[in-house]
Amino acid sequence: MATPLAATSKPVVFVEQSLYQVHEKVYPRSVTGVYATSRWLMVWLTQVLFYGLCWLPWNGRQAVLFDLTARKFYIFGLVFWPQDVIYLAVLLIISAYSLFLFTAVGGRLWCGYACPQTVYTEIFLWIERKIEGDRAARIKLDANAISMKKLFLRASKYGAWGLLALWTGFTFVGYFTPIKALWGSVFNYSLGPWETFWIIFYGSFTYVFAGHLREQVCKYMCPYARFQGVMFDPDTLTITYDAARGEPRGPHKKGEAYKTQGKGDCVDCSICVQVCPTGIDIRKGLQYECIGCAACIDACDQVMEKMGTPKGLIRYSTEHAIAAKWGWEEIIRHVIRPRVLVYAAILWTIIAAFIWGIVTKPTLRVDVIRDRAVLAREVEGGMIENVYRLHVMNVSEAAHRYAITVSGLPEIDMVGDRIIEVPPAGDQTFTVQVRVPPESGKKGSNVIYFDVKAMADENTAVREKATFLQL
Amino acid sequence: MQNILSVLWPSFLVAGIAEGVFFTLIDPRELYLLGEPVHFSSLATYSIGFFCFWAICAASSAVTCYLLRTAKKPDDTDRGA
Ligand code: SF4
Ligand code: SF4
Repeated sequence: MATPLAATSKPVVFVEQSLYQVHEKVYPRSVTGVYATSRWLMVWLTQVLFYGLCWLPWNGRQAVLFDLTARKFYIFGLVFWPQDVIYLAVLLIISAYSLFLFTAVGGRLWCGYACPQTVYTEIFLWIERKIEGDRAARIKLDANAISMKKLFLRASKYGAWGLLALWTGFTFVGYFTPIKALWGSVFNYSLGPWETFWIIFYGSFTYVFAGHLREQVCKYMCPYARFQGVMFDPDTLTITYDAARGEPRGPHKKGEAYKTQGKGDCVDCSICVQVCPTGIDIRKGLQYECIGCAACIDACDQVMEKMGTPKGLIRYSTEHAIAAKWGWEEIIRHVIRPRVLVYAAILWTIIAAFIWGIVTKPTLRVDVIRDRAVLAREVEGGMIENVYRLHVMNVSEAAHRYAITVSGLPEIDMVGDRIIEVPPAGDQTFTVQVRVPPESGKKGSNVIYFDVKAMADENTAVREKATFLQL
Repeated sequence: MQNILSVLWPSFLVAGIAEGVFFTLIDPRELYLLGEPVHFSSLATYSIGFFCFWAICAASSAVTCYLLRTAKKPDDTDRGA
């Protein structure tokens, strides 16, 4: 394994028995550049969404809330019930499919820019850098004997990480129980045992994953990292070192015409290795550990700029492009290949169907459940009675009054409420007794219908089938 | 330690999926425990459910791990492989 410190003559390698594997500790060096900026943009975007969205009010409730107790998911104006599980399934298909498409086109874009593991590692690294300094300072600090200063730095770092992790855990739980009430109960010490548990559980996960495990999660624990390789082909954009241009590597003297001496563009400064969060050397070719974060591109571009050589010794490119020395136009032409177009077409079709499904989602839903205890019985006046439970779900954002009627057998009638009121995004279960004379219908089971109609809106109506047992 | 984690981690992932599927389809208020309707809070039911799934998945992973580790390797046999 290459020592991560080739630039400072003596190789310092800390081998630590970490939670998951014996590994060499990676000390990513900070980096600036186009890709670093876009990575930070993604950090901001995803985290403003994550930490902020749960506080947003909507129609007097939390805009995004996965209310587990009530078994309802609120996403702005939409309310999803367990009956809507199909939407969730389609959403999962869309996500998986997009991941597939993005990977085929741009390699590990997800890993490099959007994966929570990358994002939180980036944030935790930022804290670490602010408190302990950049790579060299951190390596030194690790090597130093215990001192007051070291203890202080360590305590501040772990403390800051801990606070952020707790806040993350709290936010996470706030998506499942209303966050304002949750916040209130923190202060009057009435946080429920399970809420407390999950805040700490999720917080600890964040802490350990982003603070300590870091690249090991990508290397050893992430299933996607293992199988993403099968979605690659020679036209997939990946982070690539242009070996034909860079090799043979070696230092250049100032003003030296190194090309005439048979030297390549790589000055072997090893900065690309130092910035790599997974501690690999991209110059050895594409490796499955590479999460596609493009930190090495930024780093090398800076070096190239200083040396006065063109940027892009390490760049986004494809296997074919490197071999055939294509320019950007040619690369793009090959990236947009039939396979990608077909994937994209299918993806858009599913998305369109999904949106159509959401837009035309019914605003009223009714479940009819036969009473389990009573099958059929004779009641006063010789009538035969069956008992049902009607579950009326108002999936709209307004309160509604619904009229209920029953039909399907001669002289059929019902006892119980005929008009019920259901609050917005609420539901009501109530019992109705349906009665028919003994001569109505055939012996055994008969089909009957319940009609539920919104009184304010003719178009909101549902007809549900049920069976009536005649004695 | 590594073994423990390579048992616990995949089972955690699978338990998460199992939990999601199970409780999307089944309302915790309609569960019965030893003939009695479950009377815990929903959050408690979900949590306990998750840990049960996790434990079951971990048990399965652990058995796989154990069988693999104690299996005769091809090169241990007298006939060779
Ligand atoms: S940063 Fe660039 S020049 Fe420096 S070693 Fe890496 S590839 Fe070579
Ligand atoms: S090799 Fe480059 S792109 Fe890949 S993980 Fe390392 S720094 Fe990121």
